[in-house]
Amino acid sequence: MKTVYGLLTRTEAILAATLLLLMTALIFVGGLARMMHTPLNWTVELATCCFAWACFLCADIAWRNNMLMSIDALVERLPKPARRGMLYLNYAIIACFLCYLVYSGGWLAWISRARSFQGISGVSYSWVTASLPVGAALLLATTLLKVRDALRQDGILRPSRERA
Amino acid sequence: AQQQFTLRFNHVHNPSEPNAKGFVNWAKRVEERTKGGLKMQVFHSAQLGVEEDIIEQIRQGAAIGQNTDAARLGNYVKELAVVNGPYFIETKEDAFKLGNLESIKKWQDELATKHGIKVVCSDWVQGKRNFFTNKPVRKPEDLASLRIRTPPAPIWQESIRALGASPTAMSFGDIYPGLQQQAVDGAELVYPNITASNLNEVLKYANETGHITLVNFEVVSAQWFNKLPEEYQTALVEECKAAGQAASAAMEEAAKADKEKLIKAGMTIVSDVDLAAFKAAGEKAYEKLNLTEARKQVYKELGR
Amino acid sequence: MTNMLIVALLFFVLMAIGMPVAFAIGIAGVVFFVQNPDLPFTIPAQVTISQTQNFALLAVPLFILAGNFMNRSGITERLLDLASVLTGRLKGGLAQVSILLSALMGGVSGSAIADAAMQSRVLGEEMTRRGMSPGFTAGVLSFGSILTPIIPPGIGMILYGTIGQVSIGRLFAAGFIPALMLGLGLSFAVWLTAKKRNYPPQRTTRPSLAEYGSAFRGGIWALLFPVFLLAGLRMGIFTPSEIGAFAVVYALFIGILVYRKMNAKGFVHALEISLGDVGAVMFLISLSAIFSYGIVFERIPEVISEGITSITDDVSLVMVLIVILVIIAGCFIDATVLIIMMTPIFLPLVRSLGGDPVHFGIVFIVAATIGNFTPPVGAAMYTVCSILKVRVGTYTRESVPLMIAIAIVSLLLIFVPKAVLFLPNLLFG
Ligand code: NA
Ligand code: NA
Repeated sequence: MKTVYGLLTRTEAILAATLLLLMTALIFVGGLARMMHTPLNWTVELATCCFAWACFLCADIAWRNNMLMSIDALVERLPKPARRGMLYLNYAIIACFLCYLVYSGGWLAWISRARSFQGISGVSYSWVTASLPVGAALLLATTLLKVRDALRQDGILRPSRERA
Repeated sequence: AQQQFTLRFNHVHNPSEPNAKGFVNWAKRVEERTKGGLKMQVFHSAQLGVEEDIIEQIRQGAAIGQNTDAARLGNYVKELAVVNGPYFIETKEDAFKLGNLESIKKWQDELATKHGIKVVCSDWVQGKRNFFTNKPVRKPEDLASLRIRTPPAPIWQESIRALGASPTAMSFGDIYPGLQQQAVDGAELVYPNITASNLNEVLKYANETGHITLVNFEVVSAQWFNKLPEEYQTALVEECKAAGQAASAAMEEAAKADKEKLIKAGMTIVSDVDLAAFKAAGEKAYEKLNLTEARKQVYKELGR
Repeated sequence: MTNMLIVALLFFVLMAIGMPVAFAIGIAGVVFFVQNPDLPFTIPAQVTISQTQNFALLAVPLFILAGNFMNRSGITERLLDLASVLTGRLKGGLAQVSILLSALMGGVSGSAIADAAMQSRVLGEEMTRRGMSPGFTAGVLSFGSILTPIIPPGIGMILYGTIGQVSIGRLFAAGFIPALMLGLGLSFAVWLTAKKRNYPPQRTTRPSLAEYGSAFRGGIWALLFPVFLLAGLRMGIFTPSEIGAFAVVYALFIGILVYRKMNAKGFVHALEISLGDVGAVMFLISLSAIFSYGIVFERIPEVISEGITSITDDVSLVMVLIVILVIIAGCFIDATVLIIMMTPIFLPLVRSLGGDPVHFGIVFIVAATIGNFTPPVGAAMYTVCSILKVRVGTYTRESVPLMIAIAIVSLLLIFVPKAVLFLPNLLFG
């Protein structure tokens, strides 16, 4: 289980980094080609498609590494049990929201198959749309793992053997 | 008590443009005629969202409308894209007839039943598009190797390629700096676009090719439209046509006034364009996009 | 209207219980759709994705990437050597350099958020290492990027000019003097703070001519960075939305081929940091679209606009009111998006009262950007604070002098239109 998840996060990071670099390369090449009077119009389109996937994969990476900003000033004044309670409440609301994004994003990708990507017939915009439900599913997995870690810290779940 | 309906209508134009005023006029007429039963709120400058997004919302039954064009509708019913082809329609009067043609009606029915998009009317003519460049263009060869900013839809790109230029996709906001820094050599737009964005500061020539007459389509959700009482449906459609034809006339006047403004600002108008050569060149776009048959059918019904 | 009040209230409640702002804004925004069951439930997903299809926003990840690569390319050290030679004897010298760098970068970067993110990576650590408090460091880096959108070319000016039918040439010319005023204002606030807190200078002796020479030689590629980017724009190789890609390639070129400092490990490390940075910033921008949808749908800007004219019809006072509203809206919405949304609403109002559209444009763009730096929420503030690991409360407390400086200059810009209009009138008649 642990190694499977490790493999997944590794793949996610490599994919996100590749997309960011590909996006940069595409925009760069697009500019050069236009300067040489042979405009390549597909570079911009492919770059924005990479952008969507990179954004949501990176969002998961940021969430896992606690890089999403929050205002903790109020919560930190609470006594510890209340603080932990707030943490679980946060995770619960976020998990519900992410479930909703997975469902509505997935449904949107399915019903809007006919929408073409940038007007290119045969290329569906659903390839872009799918980035959100996939990203939200990864964020959901990360959230659930955060819940597990929190439960272990609170002694509600037994700590995993690897960590002990 | 009578049932209340509200339609939120989205378009990309600036509130001061004749089209934008036309939509507000349409909304007012509909509300008056239905005695407030059908209210229309107009959102200018694409405030409600990206055109393609709105069309998807419409397909899902939202009480939202959008001003769009044949190229975008062509993504759903391929034949409709023909209206956006080079030299397809030459006058606004011909454009007003489109909605009554059997072929167009058939394609619009397909759009409504298969894709949930109801065309309310197509009587909004934005005017003729010309090439704006920094060297005079009189024949297709003059466009050779010129990078012309073109909207990103394939029909558009093919049309511009057929006419001899290199179509270059670029967002609207990048046109001005793109021209200033010579990332592109020109654009194809209507006169009011030039004055609205002050593109005359970076463009010298207006070449009156008139290669595309841009016809706008007003669309709403078919699911929502079918729920309206019949007299509301009629009011919405008839007032759309009336307001659209009035706005089209205003657009034509605005184009003339803007042309005068541009001459005063020092822009050179090239009017001795070899139109026959451009029309012949435009044929390639129809062949490439398999729209020759669709055009033949519409022309037959138009009596052309 | 009441629907959106509930949404706004919920947003603050969620933030108060410590929820990450990105989630708080998205979740509160969805509640608007719960109250409007007629709207397709897929709209929140759709508008979130649409944000990533906005070509103007592509500059954000590109400049984050460029910043992290620059950090590993050896540019930073050389730039800091140069800075230390030039400003080493000034109190708070490095903070002054950050403001100067913002001005230099302003000419090439379209987004204040991207600029703030890059500078946090490039200068942030060094500034705190040299004895400046983290909160003040974050404040300087964040507020300094206000220069970015008004030094040409700025995506904000291009958008405003296009949407509002205002000459972009005039807008470009109009940005310089206000940028100078803001830069001097911030610089003065930094000097005063550094003096009060007695931030020690880095050196006590005057550098020798040889030291000047070697610092300039070492830093020449860093100094040429904005120059090359500007040249890329001027020669028409890139458009303003594309220039970030050129910045990334330039940073790599310098790191690998010129300074030969970047190895495979450094490259991978810079990429890893970028992934988190891009995720944190773009997720917030994407989800904020859910919130904005309700604002537009309920026509809140129009209601506000009518409210303003019922209070006063003096054009300067109207501008002050608009600036306040725009700063509040900037808490939730990225400056680019704000300009797209609000220009068509406020510009006609100002025009009808006899205001100058170029003057208003600069004031409006500055205000739209300020919202990104000010508490309680703001994308640039969060970016800087999360990169430097500074609490928002600390940031707020320590940024007070900078806020006062910007407030004074903003008021000057509103009430002295000549400061904005002098250059464009000189150049265009
Ligand atoms: Na700039
Ligand atoms: Na703010």
